[in-house]
Amino acid sequence: MIDIKNLRASVDDKEILKGLNLKIGKGEVHAIMGPNGSGKSTLSYVLSGKEGYNVEGEIKFNKKNLLELNAEERAREGIFLAFQYPIEIPGVFTNNFLRTSLNSVRKANGKAELNAIDFLKIVKEKAKELNIGEEMLSRPLNVGFSGGEKKRNEILQMSLLEPSFVVMDETDSGLDIDALKIVSNGVNSLRDPERSFLIITHYQRLLNYIKPDFVHVLSDGKIVKTGDWKLALDLEDEGYGQFIN
Amino acid sequence: MENYNEIKINFEKFINTFKTDDNDLEFRKKSFANFISKGFPISRDENWKYSPLVQDLKKFSHLNNKKTGINALPNALKENFDHYSIIFVDGVLILTDINDTGLVIKKNNSFLKSVKKAGENPILNLNNAFADQGYLIELSSNTILTRPIVIYNYFSKNFLSSFCSSKNFILLNEKSNVVVYEKTIYDSSIEYLITSNTEIFLAKGSKLKKYDLNCNNKHSTIFNFVKANLDENSELEYFTFSENINSCRDESIINLNGKNCFANVNAIQLLRNNCNHEIKLQINHNEEHTKSSQFVKSALYDSANAIFQGKIFVDSKAQKTDGYQLSRALLLSDNVKFFSKPELEIYADDVKCSHGSSSGSVDEESIFYLRSRGISKEDAKMMMINGFLGEVIEKITEDKFKNIFFNKLDHYSNHD
Repeated sequence: MIDIKNLRASVDDKEILKGLNLKIGKGEVHAIMGPNGSGKSTLSYVLSGKEGYNVEGEIKFNKKNLLELNAEERAREGIFLAFQYPIEIPGVFTNNFLRTSLNSVRKANGKAELNAIDFLKIVKEKAKELNIGEEMLSRPLNVGFSGGEKKRNEILQMSLLEPSFVVMDETDSGLDIDALKIVSNGVNSLRDPERSFLIITHYQRLLNYIKPDFVHVLSDGKIVKTGDWKLALDLEDEGYGQFIN
Repeated sequence: MENYNEIKINFEKFINTFKTDDNDLEFRKKSFANFISKGFPISRDENWKYSPLVQDLKKFSHLNNKKTGINALPNALKENFDHYSIIFVDGVLILTDINDTGLVIKKNNSFLKSVKKAGENPILNLNNAFADQGYLIELSSNTILTRPIVIYNYFSKNFLSSFCSSKNFILLNEKSNVVVYEKTIYDSSIEYLITSNTEIFLAKGSKLKKYDLNCNNKHSTIFNFVKANLDENSELEYFTFSENINSCRDESIINLNGKNCFANVNAIQLLRNNCNHEIKLQINHNEEHTKSSQFVKSALYDSANAIFQGKIFVDSKAQKTDGYQLSRALLLSDNVKFFSKPELEIYADDVKCSHGSSSGSVDEESIFYLRSRGISKEDAKMMMINGFLGEVIEKITEDKFKNIFFNKLDHYSNHD
C-alpha cells in the first residue's frame, strides 16, 4: 500500500525527519508513538502534501510516487489526514464544504457528482452514526464546534471520502472518554481489508480502542523501534526516555 | 486653481432653461457659488485624503449635463419577482406615479423640500446646483409593504452626457415598513460623472431595508450620498454590494435621533483591476439608547484600491449608546491598496463602543485543510473568499435578497 524509504524533511534548514523507513500493507493498522518534537506531525503533513517542507527520499503509494502529487491530488488518490487541530473556516458552511470535497474526489475518480438531495441523504445517515446533529452540518466549518465535535467531523469526512490510507494525527487529544469511544467506534467501523491506517499518538489510551497491528516508536526523526501492540503498553510504563539521546 | 469656466457656462445654460421657482433657483445659485469657491476636493482636505475621486474629478472640468434621447430599460434587466419599479435610464427618471394603498411614488419635483443649508461638501454642492431628476417615496403610517420597491439605474450604450445628478427622498411615516432594492447597470462606455443624493426620514417605529447593488462599471466616476434621520424605535438596515467599480465614493451620514433606533450598515467591496471604491460613513448617536453596527468586508485583486472611513460619533447626551464597527480586508495581490480609518468620537461616559480593522491574505492553513479534502487550490481559495464575503450577506434579513446577493457572489466567482 505505502512504502516510505529514507524520508527526510526539513523546514528552514532544520531537519525534522532524518531518514524514516516505513512500509504499511493493505488493511494494516500501524501506530506511531513518540515524544514531543520527534517529528510525528511533520510526518503526517509530509504524507498529505502540505507545502513548506523540503522533502527528500521516496514515498510509494500504490506504485505511484506520492511526492510528485500535490495535496488535493493525494486526497483524490485516497489519502486522508485527520487533523490534530481541525481548522475553523468562518463563512464556509459544513454541508457545502463536505459536498464540494466529496464531489471533487468523486469527479477525479470518474464517478458522477452527487446532487444536493442525494448528498444530503448520505451525509445525514453517516452523521447520525457519529452522533452529529443536522444543526451542526448547517454551521460554518468547525466554527464554535467543541473539541469532540471537531474530531467527529473529521471522522465524518473520512467516512464520506472512503480513503484507502488514513493518517490520524493525535485524534485522541482533547477528547473525553465518551467522545473517544464515538471516534474509535467510527474508525473501527471503517476498518477494512482494503484500507490502511497510520495512527499517530502520544498515549496508549487510543490504542485500547483501536488495536494496531504494529507499533513504531519515532524519535528524533527516525523510527527507532517496531513491535506489536504490546510495545505501546511498555511505553506507557517506561516512557520515551530510553529512546531519547 | 482651475477657473471652471466651462462648468460655469453650463450652469448658466442649465438654470436659464430649468423650470423652477425663485427659491429653488436661489438655492441652486448659492450651492453653485459654494462649489466654485472651493472647487473640486483636494487630497489636502482630510475628508477627501484617500478618495479616488480627487484624481478623477479633474477629468470633469468640462462637465456637461445634456440629456440623451429617450431609451428604455431592456426587459431582460427587470427583476422577475413582484415589485414596484422606479426606472432611471441615462440619468432620466421614467416614472408613472404610483399611488397605492399607503404608498406614493412620484417624481420629486419639489426639490425645495431638501436641506437648503449651503453645505461644506463640494460634490454635494455640485449635486444641489444641478440635480434635476429624482424620485419621492412616501409611506403613510402603518403601511407595511409586502412588495419591494426596485430602483433601476440604467446607463445605456447611447448615453452621451458627461454628467448627471439626482436627488431623492424616502419618507417612512410612523410604523411603516418597506424594502428598497437599488441596482445600477452600466452599458455605456464613455467617461461620466454621476452624483446622487438620497435623503431618508424614518418616523417612529418605521423600518427601511435598503439593498444596493453597484457593479461592473468601467468608465464612470460616482458619488453617492445618503443621509438618513432615524426617529424613536425606527430601524435602518442598509447593505451595499460594490463589485468592480471604476471609481466611486459612497458617503453616508446617519443620524440616530430617537431612543431605541438602530442603524445596521453592512457593505462588501469586491474589486479587481484598477477599480477604486471608497466608503465614508458617519453615524451620529444624538440620543440615548441608540444602537449602530457597521460591518464591512473587502476582497481586493490585481491593483484594486479600497477605502473605508467609518466614524461613530456619540453626543454627550447619548448615554447607553451601543456602537459597533468592524472592517476586514483580504489583500489578494501585492499591488492592491486598502486604507482604513476607523474613528470614534465619544462625549458620553456610559457607552459601549467597539471597533476593529484588519487586513491580510487568505489563511494558508485553511487552504491546506480544504486541499487535503480533494478540493483544488483555486476552488479552496474561492471558497475562502466567498465565505469571507458571505458573512456580510448573512446579515441581510430578507431571504429573497440574501439569495440574490449569494447568487451574485457565486456568479462572480464562476465567471472570472
